[in-house]
Amino acid sequence: MSGAGRLHGLREDLREGVGSYLRRALAWRWRLVDPARLWLLAALCLSLLPHLGRLPWLLILPAMLLLAWRLAFELRLARLPTRGLRWLLVGLALAATLGSYQTVLGRQAGVALLVIMLCLKLMEMQRPRDVAVVIGLNYFVVITVFLFDQSLLMGAYMLLVVILITTALVALSRPGSERPPWADLRYALVLLAQAAPLALLLFVLFPRIDGPLWHLPEEAAGASTGLSDSMSPGNISRLGDDDAVAFRVQFDGPLPPPGQRYWRALALTHFDGRRWSNPDSAPHQRPPARNLDLQVNGTAVDYTLTLEPHQRRWLFALDMPVSLPRQSSLSPDFELLAREPVASVQQYRLRSFPDYRLQAQQAPDAARYGQLPAAAAPRARLLAARLWAESADAADYVQRVLALFRQQPFYYTRRPPHLADDPVDGFLFDTRRGYCEHYASAFSVLMRAAGVPARVMTGYLGGETNPLGDYFMVRQSDAHAWVEVWLQGRGWVRVDPTAVIPPARVEVDARGADGLRIPGLDALAGSGWAQAVWRRAGFAWDNLNHYWNQWVVGYDRDSQATLLQALGLGDLDAQGLAAVLFTALGGVLGVLAWRVFRRGGLRRDPVALAYARFCAKLGRRGLARGPAEGAEQFSRRLRAARPDLAPQVILVTRLYQHLRYARHPPRDGLQRLQAAVRRFHP
Amino acid sequence: MGLSLAQRFRPARFLRGEGPEAGPLTLRARRVFILPTRRGLVFAGLLLSMLVGAINYNVGLGFSLTFLLAALLLVAMLHTYRNLLRLRVELGPLAPVFCGQQPRLPVIVGDTGHAAHYAIALRLPGEAAVSADVPADGWARLELPYRAERRGRHALPPITLETRFPLGLYRAWAHAHFAAQLLVYPRPAAPTPLPGRREHAAGTGGTHGRGTVDFAGLRDYRHGDSPRHVHWKASARGQGLVTKQFDGERSEGLWLDWAATRGGVEARLSLLTRWVLEADAEGLRYGLRLPTEVLAPAAGPAQRRRCLRALALYGETGA
Repeated sequence: MSGAGRLHGLREDLREGVGSYLRRALAWRWRLVDPARLWLLAALCLSLLPHLGRLPWLLILPAMLLLAWRLAFELRLARLPTRGLRWLLVGLALAATLGSYQTVLGRQAGVALLVIMLCLKLMEMQRPRDVAVVIGLNYFVVITVFLFDQSLLMGAYMLLVVILITTALVALSRPGSERPPWADLRYALVLLAQAAPLALLLFVLFPRIDGPLWHLPEEAAGASTGLSDSMSPGNISRLGDDDAVAFRVQFDGPLPPPGQRYWRALALTHFDGRRWSNPDSAPHQRPPARNLDLQVNGTAVDYTLTLEPHQRRWLFALDMPVSLPRQSSLSPDFELLAREPVASVQQYRLRSFPDYRLQAQQAPDAARYGQLPAAAAPRARLLAARLWAESADAADYVQRVLALFRQQPFYYTRRPPHLADDPVDGFLFDTRRGYCEHYASAFSVLMRAAGVPARVMTGYLGGETNPLGDYFMVRQSDAHAWVEVWLQGRGWVRVDPTAVIPPARVEVDARGADGLRIPGLDALAGSGWAQAVWRRAGFAWDNLNHYWNQWVVGYDRDSQATLLQALGLGDLDAQGLAAVLFTALGGVLGVLAWRVFRRGGLRRDPVALAYARFCAKLGRRGLARGPAEGAEQFSRRLRAARPDLAPQVILVTRLYQHLRYARHPPRDGLQRLQAAVRRFHP
Repeated sequence: MGLSLAQRFRPARFLRGEGPEAGPLTLRARRVFILPTRRGLVFAGLLLSMLVGAINYNVGLGFSLTFLLAALLLVAMLHTYRNLLRLRVELGPLAPVFCGQQPRLPVIVGDTGHAAHYAIALRLPGEAAVSADVPADGWARLELPYRAERRGRHALPPITLETRFPLGLYRAWAHAHFAAQLLVYPRPAAPTPLPGRREHAAGTGGTHGRGTVDFAGLRDYRHGDSPRHVHWKASARGQGLVTKQFDGERSEGLWLDWAATRGGVEARLSLLTRWVLEADAEGLRYGLRLPTEVLAPAAGPAQRRRCLRALALYGETGA
């Protein structure tokens, strides 16, 4: 062999040697780690993942690094920081939190602080007590994830995390005992499975109270989707196609006809030339309605609305609601406003009358509903003056303006051209292309210019029935804007200028999504069986989510009352309900106790069982096995006492010992042992 | 055996268990107690704060998690209790020990319920706990440390069995109070030559062997005499069994005499204990003379046991 070849071989040997050394060293180290800590680190890591996008990198990255540090320490690869360094890290963490949020209070900052401090606690986790503290707080981290996301998928994922945390707690209570790593996991699963029925009872029957117990600070609108509290047509030149569900509705009776599916939310009364807004600033500062002059006719529509969290205070209702959800109020413009921002799924029951007369008796505040900036829309004002002069009255004027939209070449498009100068004039006279906001804005300006009180309403129009769930889905892409005008003797009347555009002038974009859901349009959008299956799967998934929202996330005092009514417990007072709850809990606990306490309550070991049967058979012949007598010892004694049984005794004992103690037990050993014991008749 | 209500609620049952009992005992529900640990109470506090958070922020899944953990708290109670139930506790053989040693008490804990028991900790009052798993239909042998600090006969204190498995939120415990006695011999003094050994120093290591210095005469054979000292020629002549006596034994063997020691009672007992051990190690015939008791000279393990026992119990009534 040449010198180079020898060198090469040597290098190979070395690499081989180093590799095997590392493998052995690492294997040895994994075995060294306390399983409780390993489970805990895994659970903590997984429970932090959902916070990754939510918390600032300045905090979540160090948190992950601290986790890795602790894992390295457990593997004897690193040392923990000294006391001084730990304090320095605590100071840095506080500074990072303050720097990111300017506070350590509130939801976001509080969660961030909890996460980083928990990870810092890993740096001084020594005694089992410390581990228990971290495990307990890890459960708390799970609940902080739910503050931001309570979807079905997140719920399933977090259940996995809870299983891991519980496994860590089980492992912690068995220090230093030899067992396979999944033994603790199995025990945790058994515990959680047995806890599930009790948890279900508590969930259904535990008396729910209305939150909040104290006022929550208004959070900066971070994750809000859908409607906003102002509207600037012309600024946005593309409407989002957000297919997310805004809310779901279950009607008690038949669906209202499509033309009446207007879900009102906000009234915009102030126009500054480009932007419509509400002068009463933040919704929670709006005064409650004083003039509740509402007359209704016809049949009522009763329905349950399940609202996805949107972090805002407004609620949706079919035009025109006559009941108020709990913890909400009615503004002068008949907006439903919740007392707190909607931060989680909420359910409320409402009654609406599609046929109504609102504030017909008294003319509205002309300054508020007739306001127009002096310089805005000069050409529109001229048009308004001309049309008004031709009109007999305000109602006639409204019809003339609508006819203008219908007859002139106005187009509906979700990608309107940008309007640089006066957006109203630009739209009415130049581009003539826009979506609901353009039409509502221009229509309101024309009304006000002629002295007809008007306001822009925003909300949702339409929706879609889920054929699998018998409920109605309203998506973010159903967002809509329309106008309410005040007419003498009729009060506030809803006018939707967008609706007068004939279908031929509606531009459908590539995806076929359209805010204005015109019947027959959907047929153009999709074809082919794959699309149909996809659509059906979408409905099924949404149906599942609806149930989840309705019965898990949105289960509150009202749903509890409804359910209890259905169960025949509706008449019970608080004491009666408590009695029912405790009786049911006691009953389930009793059944569980019977399961846990019965002999062999846990999974019985078939090997031990077969051997125990063997011993029992001998016991009946007066050859009971001593309490501290080993199998080998027992076998020797038996052979001496009953030489006739020796072959069978030897067979059973050897099979038992192999199954119990051999490194690789025979595969068919259990069957052979069981057969041998069955055939054994001393 | 039933208990009256008053007996059932005697606080001593919770602290020390029921009075001393003979033989192995099986832990039935009557003997097993359970209370939450501090960790359990903290956990309950955590659940309360989670509930408040769920109400305040109206978090539906927060309610679910809180209730799941509350249910876990209830289920864990059953499992902790079950973990101690149907254990059979039995003492291993008790060997006497010397004062000052750190002996271990063998205890056998077995399962009678066809289910495994995990992390069962046993301890004697004031001592460190020892824990083990007990497999289904199997047993574990534990050696409980204790300290023997006073000589004499001691009643075995109650053994406490406890477990916090599976979640550490509860502690279930039971007391096993066996009617057994621990015999503690006095602490042996530092090695000291046997009494009279100085006079016969020449004999030690001599060709005649130990304690067989000068022939002094014959006497009738007595049980326990060394066969080497039997006068076999005389037996052969039909004179029955006679034993040769040597001067080194002063005809009656070596006497370990209380009067030959000095100091306090415990010091004297310690010295006598040391002598007994040395005499026994050398295979001598020896007797023990205490103010209260005289043990005739003999040799062998039985004599050693007798003497050490007398020393251990010296001064105790009914010894």
